[in-house]
Amino acid sequence: MPKSVVGTAVMYFRRFYLNNSVMEFHPRIIMLTCAYLSCKVDEFNVSSSQFVANLVHESPAGQELVAEQILEYELLLIQQLNFHLVVHNPYRPMEGLLIDLKTRYPTLENPESLRKNVDDFLTQASLTDIGLLFTPSQIALTAILNSASRAGLNMESYITECLGLKQDKETLSKLYDSMRRMKIITKKYELPKPEVVNACKQKLERIHAEGLRLVLSRKRLIFPDDSR
Amino acid sequence: MDDQGCPRCKTTKYRNPSLKLMVNVCGHTLCENCVEMLFVRGSGNCVQCDTPLRKSNFRVQLFEDPAVDKEVEIRKKVLKIYNKRDFDFPNLREYNDYLEQIEDIVFNLTHNIDVENTKLRMEQYQKENRDVIQRNKAKLTREQEELEELLLLEQQGNEQRRLDVLQEEQRQLQAKRKNKQALLDELEQSQIPATILLAKHKARSAQLETEIEQQKQSVKPTSLFSTGIQQSQTVSLVPIPRIEEVLYQYTLLKVDTYGPPAPDLGQLGRLGSTSQALFFRGAAVCVLFSLELFSGDGPLCTGSTCTETRHQSGYLNHVRAALPQDTAGGYTTAMACHRAMQDAFSGLFSL
Repeated sequence: MPKSVVGTAVMYFRRFYLNNSVMEFHPRIIMLTCAYLSCKVDEFNVSSSQFVANLVHESPAGQELVAEQILEYELLLIQQLNFHLVVHNPYRPMEGLLIDLKTRYPTLENPESLRKNVDDFLTQASLTDIGLLFTPSQIALTAILNSASRAGLNMESYITECLGLKQDKETLSKLYDSMRRMKIITKKYELPKPEVVNACKQKLERIHAEGLRLVLSRKRLIFPDDSR
Repeated sequence: MDDQGCPRCKTTKYRNPSLKLMVNVCGHTLCENCVEMLFVRGSGNCVQCDTPLRKSNFRVQLFEDPAVDKEVEIRKKVLKIYNKRDFDFPNLREYNDYLEQIEDIVFNLTHNIDVENTKLRMEQYQKENRDVIQRNKAKLTREQEELEELLLLEQQGNEQRRLDVLQEEQRQLQAKRKNKQALLDELEQSQIPATILLAKHKARSAQLETEIEQQKQSVKPTSLFSTGIQQSQTVSLVPIPRIEEVLYQYTLLKVDTYGPPAPDLGQLGRLGSTSQALFFRGAAVCVLFSLELFSGDGPLCTGSTCTETRHQSGYLNHVRAALPQDTAGGYTTAMACHRAMQDAFSGLFSL
């Protein structure tokens, strides 16, 4: 699955839960729906049956149930995203910046050596919130500068000269400021511990089971004669 | 058109698309064959709801949903009784209330809610307003008669025209036949040589033909244009007033990208540090060109274009080259490169 599809799916997931509660919509289903939708949007189409066939943990009956649920939630997801389905991921800006480096900045010998670290940084960044806070080109630039500084190379001259910022001190300082913030956020993020995760999972299951029961009983009140 | 098939024999609707479904007063459908079979004795019970029915109650279904047909039947019956018109009421509000009453009754009867009360109400209303109902019935029939008369007149006009056309044709045929007959007779009897007779005959038949043509093309003079204006009417030709406005001036669209300027699509092949260009020339040539390259932008541009057929220069040599299949479709490497550069540079400076 191309990286942009994964990036898009993660962005959908984040944006959805900005406006909706985890208690109302179980994250597992929403996660599957986000992945399915982003495959469609990013032209990496998989049919729904193929998609659920990849869920090896489920029995075939369970897979069909999941397929139905995905189709139910898809429209809701699109609606909650405010129908903004195009997500700009930092991967293309990163490629563009690498091209620019190779073309206009010969001081840096081999930008390709930075690529692995850049990818790692971007994956780590997608686990945090910075996709919601900064533009994708800024994220890509931070990633490249970060991996360059890790390799011990100094890229300040690139920013000041090639990006034409020699005169514009204010923009320069703002840029540095946001890059610093991004670095802090990404560094500080760590995966939550399994015990915490399990406790949350149990709470979710309990609340969702109760919610389901409530909905069913309410349905029975309004439509007592549901034989039609 | 085929919903789910007849509820009894199920298959026949698919196999026989010309088969019709019949509806009756309880709202359930049966195909023609099943009606025949079940109601061979004239009366029976409905298959789905067991209400006693008569065969004569079945009508051919007009609508896809049998419930709609049932409602249409009920509405017809109700409206026979509740047939007051809008001028019977002193104000609009009362007329609307009356209409709402009718709708309530139809709804109740269709969905089998409170059927007895509704029927009682209907009978009461009928008793009270008997004379009003009679009067309105009479009015209705009068209007219908007028409509029918108009239709009849139109039909008669059409018939008349058709007969006229037929007669004309017959007359023309007869004229032709007489002409031919006359020729044969003359050939038999007269003394004039045959060629002259033939010539005369040809002239006469040509004359006949032109007459027929003229008759066909003669349009009856009418007095009205197609828009309804009389032909003799003169329409005043007031000149249309001229409206003068400021002409639209095109201004180039400016897009603020909040970032450093990205290179243009056309320049992607040429821009780039001079060392790159040097790397792509042969050693001998590079000595010659290097002086010119450092002096100005002009030679750099021309130099790179002459070799671009095989090597890409500037930005483009860091992008995957376009295959012949891609270029055939109109794709150029510059497109992908340009897009990546735009994405990299836009939004770089914060707001």
